[in-house]
Amino acid sequence: MEMTRRQFLKISGAVAATLAVIELGFDEKGAQAKSKEFKIAELKPTPTICPYCAVGCGILVYSKGDDVVYTEGDPDHPINEGSLCSKGTTVRQVYTSEKRITKPLYRAPGADKWEEVDWDFALDKVAKNIKETRDRTFIHKENGLTVNRTDSIAYLGGAALDNEECHLLQKLFRAGLGLTFIEHQARI
Amino acid sequence: METIKFVDVTKCDGCRACMVSCKNWNDLPSEIEEFHGSYQSHEKITANTWNVITFNEQERKDGGLDWLFRHSSCMHCVEASCEKACPEDAISHTKFDSVVIDYDKCVGCGYCVQACEFDAINLATYIDKNGKEFRKAQKCTQCTDRLEEGMQPACATACHTGAIVYGDKDDLLASAEERLAKVKERYPNANIYNPQGIKGTNTVYLLADKPSTYGLPENPKVALSQVVWKDYAQPIGKAMLGATTMAVIGSFIANSLNKKNESSEGEDHHE
Repeated sequence: MEMTRRQFLKISGAVAATLAVIELGFDEKGAQAKSKEFKIAELKPTPTICPYCAVGCGILVYSKGDDVVYTEGDPDHPINEGSLCSKGTTVRQVYTSEKRITKPLYRAPGADKWEEVDWDFALDKVAKNIKETRDRTFIHKENGLTVNRTDSIAYLGGAALDNEECHLLQKLFRAGLGLTFIEHQARI
Repeated sequence: METIKFVDVTKCDGCRACMVSCKNWNDLPSEIEEFHGSYQSHEKITANTWNVITFNEQERKDGGLDWLFRHSSCMHCVEASCEKACPEDAISHTKFDSVVIDYDKCVGCGYCVQACEFDAINLATYIDKNGKEFRKAQKCTQCTDRLEEGMQPACATACHTGAIVYGDKDDLLASAEERLAKVKERYPNANIYNPQGIKGTNTVYLLADKPSTYGLPENPKVALSQVVWKDYAQPIGKAMLGATTMAVIGSFIANSLNKKNESSEGEDHHE
C-alpha cells in the first residue's frame, strides 16, 4: 500500500483522535464515587430539649423553611453530650409525621366519631367543663376541717416540664382549683 | 491518619439508638417485621435497614445466661468481596477506607449480595418516573458524607454507652487490647474480630464470645475466582475490547482513505 504524505498525516490524525476518544470516553476511574449531597450543609441548627423523658437531653434541630431536615443529639449539651436514645432520635417525626394531629378534635357526648373544631371552641369547652365540675363537686369542709378541694379532677404532668412550668401548674391546679390528684407521667 | 469504627459489644445495652440514628441520617423508610420470637427487631440487615442489633441468648457453663448484643452492619473489609464481585466498578474504597457504592454505576445485578460473607449488602427496589422497577445495591456507607465534613458516623454519635466509637486506628486497636484484658474474666472466650484473611476490616469488634456465636465467619476470605475475575480477567478483557475497537476504527479509516485514493487515481493526477 503506497501512501502519500497527506494520506499518512490524515491516518495518523484519525488514529490519534480515536485513541483520545477511547481514553476519555472509557475512563473508568475518572468518575470517582461521589457521596450524596451533604443534607445539612448551610443549615443553622436550633438547640432544643427532648420532649420525652425526664433526662432532658439536648437536641439540635436542622430546619429548612417549614421543614425539619434532621435532628441530632447536641454535642455541647452537658446531659447527653451528643448521644440520644432511639426514641429521642425520632423526634423529627413529631413534626413531619403524616399521623400528626394539627387541629383540636372533639367527640361530643354520645357521639361515635371525632370532629375537627377550632381552638376557641376547644379551650372554652375545657374551661367551662373544669369550672362546672369543680363547682359541682367542691368540698369546703370535711370532719369539721376546712379542706377546700375537689376529688373529681386529676392533673397529669409530663417529664418535659421544667421547674418554672411545674411551679405555675401547681399554683393553678393545687392552690387555685383545689385539686389533690396531681401526678407525674414518669411515676405511672 | 487511618481511622476505624470500633464496636465494643460488652458495652452495648441494646437500646437500638444506632439503628434509629442510621435511619434518621440516611432517610431510610421503616420496615415493620413480624415478631420473630426474640427481642431482636429485624431478622437481618436489609437494603433499607443498614444496621441491626442482634440479640443472642447464650447459656453459660455455670448454668447462667448471657444476653449478647451486637451492632451488626457492613464491616468495610479492606479486601472487600463486594468490590471484587462488582462487574461495573461501582463499589470502591474511599479515603476513609470505607466501602461505598456509586449508585449511578450500580446496575442492580446483585453479584455483591451473593459475594458478601456478612450479608451486609442487599438490593433495594425502586420505581422510576415511568413506573418501571429498578434495583440498586444498598448498605452502610459508614456515613462517608459525614466523615467528609469532619463529623462522626451517625451510629457512633448516638451511642450513649460508648460501645461504638470512631477514631484513630492505632489508638482504638490499643484500647481494644486493654479492654479485652479487662473483660476476659467475665467472658473467657472474648476476642477482637478483625479478620486477617481479608486484611482486616474497617469496623473492628470486641466480641464477648466466639465469632460463630454471633453468626460471623471465623476466617472470611475473598474467593479466588473473584480475585481472578476482577484483577486479571476484567482488565485484560477491557484492554482487548479497547484494542479491538481501535483496530476496527483504524482499519475502517485506512480502508476508506485507500479506496478514495484508488477511485480518484484515474481522474486527475495532480499529485
